[in-house]
Amino acid sequence: MLDIKNLSASVGGAEILHDLSLSVGTGEVHAIMGPNGSGKSTLAQVIAGRDDYEVTGGSVTLDGEDLLDLDPEERAREGVFLGFQYPVEIPGVNNAYLLKAAVNAQRAHRGLDEIDAFEFLKLAKEKMALLGMDQKFLNRGVNEGFSGGEKKRNEILQMAMLEPRLAILDETDSGLDIDALKAVAHGVNALRSPERSIVLVTHYQRLLDYIQPDHVHVLSGGKIVRSGDKTLATELEERGYDWLKEAANG
Amino acid sequence: MATESEELESLVNRRYEHGFVTDIEMDTLPPGLNEDVIRAISARKNEPEFMLEWRLKAYRMWLQMREPEWAHVHYPPIDFDAISYFAAPKSDADRPKSLDEVDPKLLETYDKLGIPLHERARLAGVAVDAVFDSVSVATTFKEKLSEAGVIFCSFSEAVENHPELVRKYLGSVVPQRDNYYAALNSAVFSDGSFVYVPKGVRCPMELSTYFRINSANTGQFERTLIIADEGSYVSYLEGCTAPMRDENQLHAAVVELVALKDAEIKYSTVQNWYPGDEEGKGGIYNFVTKRGDCRGANSKISWTQVETGSAITWKYPSCILRGDNSVGEFYSVAVANNFQQADTGTKMIHIGKNTSSTIVSKGISAGKAQNAYRGLVKVMPQADGARNHTQCDSLLIGKECGAHTFPYMEIKNQGAKVEHEATTSKISADQLFYCRQRGLSEEDAVNMIVNGFCKEVFNELPMEFAVEAQALLNVSLEGAVG
Amino acid sequence: MSNSDKLRSAAEQLGPDGLSDLRSRAAENFGTTGFPTTRMEDWKYTDLSIASDISVAALDDFRVDLPPSYEIPDIEAHWLIISNGSPQVGGLSAIDGVDIALLSEADVDLQFDLPLADLNLALLSDGLKLTVNAGVNVDKPVGLLFFDDADTDSLVSQGRVIIDVQKGASVQVIEFHTTRGDARKYANVFVDLNIEDNARVDYARLQARDLSAVQTARLSVAAGRDATLRHFALDTGGKLVRNDLVIDIAKTGADVEFNGLYLADAGQHVDNHTRVDHRVGPAHSKQEYRGIIKGRAVWNGKAVVHEGADGTDAQQANHNLLMSERAEINAKPELEIYAEDVKCSHGTTVGQLDENAVFYLRTRCLDEEQARRLMTHAFAMGVAHRCPIDACTTWVDSHVEDALNALVAEDAK
Repeated sequence: MLDIKNLSASVGGAEILHDLSLSVGTGEVHAIMGPNGSGKSTLAQVIAGRDDYEVTGGSVTLDGEDLLDLDPEERAREGVFLGFQYPVEIPGVNNAYLLKAAVNAQRAHRGLDEIDAFEFLKLAKEKMALLGMDQKFLNRGVNEGFSGGEKKRNEILQMAMLEPRLAILDETDSGLDIDALKAVAHGVNALRSPERSIVLVTHYQRLLDYIQPDHVHVLSGGKIVRSGDKTLATELEERGYDWLKEAANG
Repeated sequence: MATESEELESLVNRRYEHGFVTDIEMDTLPPGLNEDVIRAISARKNEPEFMLEWRLKAYRMWLQMREPEWAHVHYPPIDFDAISYFAAPKSDADRPKSLDEVDPKLLETYDKLGIPLHERARLAGVAVDAVFDSVSVATTFKEKLSEAGVIFCSFSEAVENHPELVRKYLGSVVPQRDNYYAALNSAVFSDGSFVYVPKGVRCPMELSTYFRINSANTGQFERTLIIADEGSYVSYLEGCTAPMRDENQLHAAVVELVALKDAEIKYSTVQNWYPGDEEGKGGIYNFVTKRGDCRGANSKISWTQVETGSAITWKYPSCILRGDNSVGEFYSVAVANNFQQADTGTKMIHIGKNTSSTIVSKGISAGKAQNAYRGLVKVMPQADGARNHTQCDSLLIGKECGAHTFPYMEIKNQGAKVEHEATTSKISADQLFYCRQRGLSEEDAVNMIVNGFCKEVFNELPMEFAVEAQALLNVSLEGAVG
Repeated sequence: MSNSDKLRSAAEQLGPDGLSDLRSRAAENFGTTGFPTTRMEDWKYTDLSIASDISVAALDDFRVDLPPSYEIPDIEAHWLIISNGSPQVGGLSAIDGVDIALLSEADVDLQFDLPLADLNLALLSDGLKLTVNAGVNVDKPVGLLFFDDADTDSLVSQGRVIIDVQKGASVQVIEFHTTRGDARKYANVFVDLNIEDNARVDYARLQARDLSAVQTARLSVAAGRDATLRHFALDTGGKLVRNDLVIDIAKTGADVEFNGLYLADAGQHVDNHTRVDHRVGPAHSKQEYRGIIKGRAVWNGKAVVHEGADGTDAQQANHNLLMSERAEINAKPELEIYAEDVKCSHGTTVGQLDENAVFYLRTRCLDEEQARRLMTHAFAMGVAHRCPIDACTTWVDSHVEDALNALVAEDAK
């Protein structure tokens, strides 16, 4: 599904990702862990197409198609979803409006007809029920005045509506209390499917108690320094990241 | 509350501590201004011809100009012919070679003001260039500075010893015709400080000057010029107190800063000139032009001021952000009590690309005072990527004072991001009660709250000034709560 | 003949009637003062010489008998028409609970305090006085249609309306400015609104003049005890537009809120000045203006809290989006405070759309233009939605939409 080969990226002249390679198979759930500043969020943003980052080498493909040449919206329409660490507040833009515009932009891209307001509402209500969300969400401004937990749930709702092939969830667990964490994890689990790959970017192991990954990678100093199964996450929780940093440097 | 108010009132009415007059024979020109007076000033200072020409040019411009009226201040017209334009201690004729040779009476004066020159200089690691009225009296730490190649001397000495630097930079930031008072200053300035920090040098100590105004009816026209050459850094401290006098005294200084490529200048002021009595009688008119030119790329100029004194303050330390990526900062606390009037703020002129500026202004009004913030943020069409953030807060203490905000934003570049926030409020009864319930006196509570209000600015001051500034603030506001 | 002579003679042509004396006094005053200049602090950023040029040209061939011409906007209201500066008596329909009179026949005290007010009086053919009777709740909005129509010759028109809303009454007022014809037009409009104790006024000033038109307009409001004002101003038209909104709070308990949206396309200059005087407290004023600018805009908001007006709460906000390389905004949020127990704040921003949000929307499948359009629209509607008169909502929505599309369209090269 997702193939990253020898990717290097920099921002403002400073290289953040060095020669990073990663392969995510269809239907797999990968966790990317790492200390602060290791480049986790950069990786997520580069895959989504943030133009603040300059890709200086390597390739990123989705089912064989080069992503790096595409604009952010083209990647999104191809089925790349980024769940933001800090979902952006957009005052005055109605949540339902954005969702409908997004769904229709994607449908147009796939050669499907636009869905009408009635169908849209039905679909949205269905997904919201699945995620246990209040319908009032639809009528509020995008993330405007939302609590941390509401914002993250809203991200999962958007993901549910857009049904991506690849979902990258950047620190989806940060700032959540245990109930909100469970609710978000439940939403993600409900969206697991053999056709969909999920990449969880996280600092802590705790999210992985609720969403079991197939593979765990550790990112440090801009590259993957270790990969393993979910026991690696437990090991990290016990030993911290320093031993890996040393291993990487040595 | 009433009894406390009375106590507080007595505190507020405490006399200005630094109000005394030194009795020294003065060498004073007769009052009045004409070309002959300017020639006399120049001649007594043994100035080269170019300086005299420069002064005369300024004087002729000044004659064509009109006193500004736009500021939010009111005062009786100034009779410029009643002012004497040059006063120097007699002992100037044969200048002291060291502190030991300085007129003991002068040193005593500084002592009364709490400026023990040698001690303070040595202990605080500060070189002090003390200006008594118009002539520089003593300079310390010169050797250490000259080792580093830093020139720190009186303006007169700079004219004598470094005429090429003076010629190159004088008036290059504040031209003679810039404004009425700058033109007047250019014509008659007596003395001041000169600093040149050579390429790549980090000035080894903070530089400080204490300005004093003495001698009744003597206009004080300081001129300061600081040049930070490429890649250098200097922090300059200016502080002032003035003796008590009944007549209003005019002070029209000009400060010019030039920061070349990669250079940084930090200029801090604590201004505590005599503000007049509680009836509004007397006090200094402080009409100052301060401007910094970030001439080179990546240069930075930072102004920090704590203004507690003067009857009228009219002062806008500004930054011309000419170099790409240059940075301008303005941090200000202005306190006005009794009948004080302050109209102060800054101008940030964005010219280079990716320039940024920060303005933090805290105004405190008490008694019958009027305190205005006046600021300009100007982004020129070519200044791509300009950023400004302005925070402008006013605190009101008492029902008869005024707090005003006049910010101008002139933005001509699409990519500019400019944010201005302002608030005005009084010290809340809840805050006061809370502190008092925890055992603080009302006065301490007010001091604490006001100091908290100003903290952002005090944080920018060098350590020893921060302490002095807080103390000054407390004195200025004593008893303002009723 | 000098310009002031032309003005005097034009003033004479308009009479004789109940306003003749006022006209000649005003013409005399204006003859000495003339138009405000950029040397005056209040006019620093707005140069009226174009208004002066149009006036001089119009006075060269001054006509008092222009035929009425107008087109009623598609907004449900009791429309009163002022065509080319003349109230159309024929078009004055009766409104229940509202007395309508011509100024020349009413007993009113007209102020001379500003040069433009003098100009207005000197050339005023007539004006209207509306009295909303005590306790009346007017059934639908009262619309003041300022319609200027000139095809060939320069036109200068004056509008003057006095609205007195008596105790406990409630009314919605729409002040609507529009034009027809290619000739240069200058309109100078004064409205005085007196809101008596416990009365409420919802007010919408909608300005959609053509792009060669010049307008100066001033609304002066006096707010009574516990009076309420909700005001919204929309400017999309005009080559040069200057609006003054002046609110005087001299009694306690007033609650005024005024918001505005201005769109200045390339070649347009839109200046909004607001001033609110809090003379007593407690009272509450709140304003927010937003601008979307490709041309030139000025915003100057001033709150003055007078001595003793304790309990004042005055909030100002002004936000500007710069949309082109030539865009320019001069913003000046001023506070003058002479009382202690006040809560005042202002916030002004100048900037662009939040790039983070644009990226966010793009990751949600919207293309860049869609994302920018959506956000610009949201920015505009954030304040346009506060238009207090429901009858205007549809018109405002679609007009703003069109104006924004026109503004943004030029970018989609």
